[in-house]
Amino acid sequence: MTLVLPSTIEARKAEAATIFGSHGVPTRRVEEWKYSDLKVALGEAGIGTDQALWQVDTLPDGVEMFDLSRNGAPDWVQKHFATAGRNIMGTASLTLSDGGVALRIAKGAKISRPLKLTFQGNGHVRGLLVLEDGASLTLVESVGIADFRNVGFEIVLGEGASLEHVRISQQSADAVLVEEASLCIAAGARYCAHFVGFGSKLSRMELEIALEGEGAQAHLSGVSVLDGKRHSDVTTHVIHRHGNTASTQLFKHVAGGNARAVYQGKVTVAKGADGSDSHQSAKALLLSENAEADLKPELEIFADDVKCAHGAAVGDLDAESLFYLRARGIPEAEARGLLLQAFLEDAVAEIVNIDQRELVRTELLTALKRVA
Amino acid sequence: MSIAAETKAQVAEIGDKYKYGFVTDIEMEMAPRGLSEGTVRYISAKKGEPEWMLEWRLAAFKRWGAMKEPNWARVHYPRIDYQNSYYYAAPKNTPLKQSLDEVDPKLLETYKKLGIPLQEQMALAGVAVDAVFDSVSVATTFKAKLNEAGVIFCPISEAIRDYPDLVKKYLGTVVPVTDNFFATLNSAVFSDGTFVYVPKGVRCPMELSTYFRINASETGQFERTLIVADEGSYVSYLEGCTAPKRDENQLHAAVVELVALDNAEIKYSTVQNWYPGDENGLGGIFNFVTKRGDCRGKKSKISWTQVETGSAITWKYPSCILRGDESVGEFYSIAIANNYQQADTGTKMIHLGANTRSRIISKGISAGKAQNTYRGLVSIYGKAKNARNYTQCDSLLIGGDCGAHTVPYIESRNPTARIEHEATTSKIAEDQLFYCLARGIPQDEAVSLIVNGFCKEVLQQLPMEFAVEAQKLVGISLEGSVG
Repeated sequence: MTLVLPSTIEARKAEAATIFGSHGVPTRRVEEWKYSDLKVALGEAGIGTDQALWQVDTLPDGVEMFDLSRNGAPDWVQKHFATAGRNIMGTASLTLSDGGVALRIAKGAKISRPLKLTFQGNGHVRGLLVLEDGASLTLVESVGIADFRNVGFEIVLGEGASLEHVRISQQSADAVLVEEASLCIAAGARYCAHFVGFGSKLSRMELEIALEGEGAQAHLSGVSVLDGKRHSDVTTHVIHRHGNTASTQLFKHVAGGNARAVYQGKVTVAKGADGSDSHQSAKALLLSENAEADLKPELEIFADDVKCAHGAAVGDLDAESLFYLRARGIPEAEARGLLLQAFLEDAVAEIVNIDQRELVRTELLTALKRVA
Repeated sequence: MSIAAETKAQVAEIGDKYKYGFVTDIEMEMAPRGLSEGTVRYISAKKGEPEWMLEWRLAAFKRWGAMKEPNWARVHYPRIDYQNSYYYAAPKNTPLKQSLDEVDPKLLETYKKLGIPLQEQMALAGVAVDAVFDSVSVATTFKAKLNEAGVIFCPISEAIRDYPDLVKKYLGTVVPVTDNFFATLNSAVFSDGTFVYVPKGVRCPMELSTYFRINASETGQFERTLIVADEGSYVSYLEGCTAPKRDENQLHAAVVELVALDNAEIKYSTVQNWYPGDENGLGGIFNFVTKRGDCRGKKSKISWTQVETGSAITWKYPSCILRGDESVGEFYSIAIANNYQQADTGTKMIHLGANTRSRIISKGISAGKAQNTYRGLVSIYGKAKNARNYTQCDSLLIGGDCGAHTVPYIESRNPTARIEHEATTSKIAEDQLFYCLARGIPQDEAVSLIVNGFCKEVLQQLPMEFAVEAQKLVGISLEGSVG
């Protein structure tokens, strides 16, 4: 199913406004938002019309940047902006945001220094990242604290492009943070994403990934460590539009206190996309009586020559492992900490960028001390 | 000829093979077409029901009027015109008979075609059959033996008359009148069905079995089944279905309620082989069923086994509410969809009590242009300490035009609970097929062999009588699906 899109940005925005108008702010009655009631979390304040901000730390060489609030968008922005994804909050940010940032890596450019991007402040904002054919980049995305922010992010990977996306969302008790990312991945391109979340009042990272050409790949991993009344929702939809494409997903959650960890992952294999290979795994550990984990790994398959598997598990720490460690003189608290670290580690190990991987490990240690 | 064209030709060839496609010419007594309060009153009056039952039906009908047909399932069908259907059809001249000799010979002929050897069964199989011909149960056998054990096994209309206290106590307590659109419709217009009560400590001396059969053109079947297993009892119930060939879509909205009290066990097996429509997707049964079991007592157990090969559309989620501590729920399912069939089926395991366990094994097979969805929920509530669930759902795709979908919901609110879910998708491997063909096994037989192997874990759960029939069905359902 390919969307026929209007040719101008204005027309695409108008179309998005119509879609958003017909849905409104999602409640738990909307299937995709079953475990994250945005309307209730926002209360009377609603989604408002504020404009959120963005910030790029020293632009690495070879990265072109355009401020979306300005006039005279270059051709590449005209071509790609508002073309991918039409999920509810994505259309909301298209409708209600005037600004945002667009970034481009030219054909074949390999950017070695990570690009650091932060979204902050209240309201709506858009992002667009275009990697042309053969380009490569590491994107480090930080999530600033706010009462409510809705980020709509589009990422376009040209043929053979490669992007590593690391997103760390700090904990905050009162924030309602929604980000909806839509990706188009061309033949031979590779997208690796790692999401680290410590939860907020409502926190949702939604991804819609279309694997558009032969050999396109998406590898997603994520960890969340939640305590108190925090909530963290990772929702993904990977669409294998073309044959011989691959996707993997590995998500690990640790929830204590009254926290709620949500993972909804859908993999669609379109008709004729033979040779698609997809693997999904979601695991959650509950550390307290009142914590909750909701997992929904979904498969939608319209082709027969495919390899698709998913697994999900929820439980608590293995009593035998705990006993093993304690029998060797390790105090219980420490032993639990070690086991939790081990539980999360295989998802963390997926991060390629060494600096980011170490940073994530340190942050997780701090968070685990809080939870365990 | 290309493989696709060849398959098409083969499928066309077997199009007429639905061997249960015939209509028996028996005079029918019908309620007027359409659905109104009058229809509900008519059905109730025909059944000679007491006032409380009529009230119950009318309340359901009123509620139904305010409800919307659900649309969340992955099934597509033309809008059903509820006013253009008959809601009650009873074969004339068939009051309850004392023995088979009194039954209309034409009816017996029908059963023969269906392969239900009533007389033989009496002697050989040791299975009591409460055969439902359209909406009225016409022959109930083995009454005496069951009476001896104190087991009540009768049409539900009879139970309403003879055991009103039991019916009142349990009817609608598992599937409430307001549960969902189709269950509410059923509550208003159900024509007949089965009632089983197994008293305390009794192990039902035989497998109970009912053959439902849709016969009259354009009459929806609204069966209502209620099975109550009292403390420490055991019952195994078999349900098998075939229906004559018809072009017009027929609606079937049954409700099945199971109640297991302390230490009781109910095993419910279904083989569903209703008319699936022809190879172009014309006709076939709409099967919108609500089945739910309530493990109300401690250490009770409910086990659902289903083989779903028929119906144009299946919308069915046999579920277990694990209320009693240490209760057990099981769901074993094979769903086969071929040609234009659509199946959206699965289960719900609701863990409320401590140390409750559940197990889900689902095997979905799609061929032709069919769509097959597993949709399941495992929900662990806060008090379900040490609850356990294991789920495995595998899909097999035959051909590139069909779809296989898996939609599992896993919700855990207790840290001591352990839930595991696995799913795989595969196809019939060329090398498996080649291996069989090279050894002189014809293609259809080879497919049947491979698929039966894929389903083995579920077939093993069926009672012997059903297992044989089911294995054959699996083969027949997929004939010609591999080119």
